[in-house]
Amino acid sequence: MTRFFRLLRKDLQASLLPLGFLSGITLIVMLFTRVRIATGSWPMETALAAVSLPLVFMPLWLLWQSFQTLRVEWREDTVYTLLVLPVPGWKVMLAKLAAVCIEYSVLLGVTVFGTLIFFAPQVQLAMEVLPGSLWAVRNGILVYLFSLAMLASVVIFVQLAFVVSRMVGRAQGLVALWTLFLSSWLVDLCGSLLAPLFRWLPALSLDKLFRLYEIEAGIVVNWRLASEIGSWLGILGLFVLTGVLFEHFVEVNG
Amino acid sequence: MSITDQALIISNLRKKYPKVEALKGVDLALPQGEIWGLLGPNGSGKSTLLKCIIGLVKPDGGEIKILGQVPSRRTKAQIAFVPEVENLYRWMTVRQAIDFTASFYEDWDEGRIPGLLEFMGLDPDKKVSSLSKGMRARLKLILALARKAPLLLLDEPFSGIDPASRDRIVEGIVRQFKSEVQSMIISTHAVGDTEQLFDGVVFLDEGTVSLQGNAEDLRDQYGKSINDLFKEVFA
Repeated sequence: MTRFFRLLRKDLQASLLPLGFLSGITLIVMLFTRVRIATGSWPMETALAAVSLPLVFMPLWLLWQSFQTLRVEWREDTVYTLLVLPVPGWKVMLAKLAAVCIEYSVLLGVTVFGTLIFFAPQVQLAMEVLPGSLWAVRNGILVYLFSLAMLASVVIFVQLAFVVSRMVGRAQGLVALWTLFLSSWLVDLCGSLLAPLFRWLPALSLDKLFRLYEIEAGIVVNWRLASEIGSWLGILGLFVLTGVLFEHFVEVNG
Repeated sequence: MSITDQALIISNLRKKYPKVEALKGVDLALPQGEIWGLLGPNGSGKSTLLKCIIGLVKPDGGEIKILGQVPSRRTKAQIAFVPEVENLYRWMTVRQAIDFTASFYEDWDEGRIPGLLEFMGLDPDKKVSSLSKGMRARLKLILALARKAPLLLLDEPFSGIDPASRDRIVEGIVRQFKSEVQSMIISTHAVGDTEQLFDGVVFLDEGTVSLQGNAEDLRDQYGKSINDLFKEVFA
């Protein structure tokens, strides 16, 4: 595990600068919005849009980052270092995946922190409508975990597409795009094919999980897990495949 | 000489890139405990050959045996490779680059580091990005020489390096190489300054071995230095 953590630390250190920059920008946008609200220059809708801006760009930036962490290894020839290390390919990929997830967590943490600091009165107003701070925190953590799982699966698709594109000498962008389409279709197929195996699983009641009944929203959402589990297994398979391809089939001249 | 005496055996190795056939059936046997020069002009296939051994490039055919094993994750742990390209993370300090490499190899000898740093004239607190090309080449060599790896592969370690750094690197190799347990291949097209290093040489020309053998035997046989022989073969 030491080797994995060494790789993870390396990937985190490499992204310290952009992460710090984005965190700073997020806080500056929030502070600026706070000032505009305080001076009455902006209506609430505009302020809300401004605060949401970093949240909209965050997933895009993270997707770019998951592509970039691999691309930069080729661009700066450090892939020569990575590929000669006596470590399994999946560890290299897992370190990069974990780094993106940590970056996401940090950015989200900064956003929450900024919201609590700069928009305390608005948060207090919202809390009066919600059943309680414990409910908000609990649901916040659940949303965070769901979004983290979503992000991780998308990063796995991106990693596979990039690694496959590096196995060919030309039209790498096109190959990456096709790999994205093909792997999405494969995961979908995996979900459909394996669904009968997991039919015995009960549906997950999201309204109960999120305790929506406490706000008397009257929303009922049941999540059928049977096909989802097949898809997750498919994504896990893609992750293992990426590791194998990276370790055994990628060439520095590819 | 038996198979166990060979650090590396390559038979009929072939590699074709989309536009060029880089290796056309290369045969090579590197005796244990020796330093061999892989000599040839640019584009002769030297780098491809070394990349095939370490696993950075997949051969199209032929066989490679490293200490009796086919290339794998295990053989990667037994090879110290210095590529021609700048493969260091530029945002790291010299110390960080050393620590990063050290954590992946069981044969790492931390005790060699202070001496190597002093000899190569490197400040561990300096960022890699602030080092000159010669200094970075020295650092790459430190990362290889600090290991007790049975096989060392140095790809053009003197390319584009100032004479002072070149002399340091040659001296560093001579000092640190342990012939009882190590073998080494150095690829280069600058034979002059390095000839004294080689126990044996392989002349690679357009993907084929045009001449190979013990350096002393070749000098006796042709009555010339390896450098003159190189000039004659590749004239």
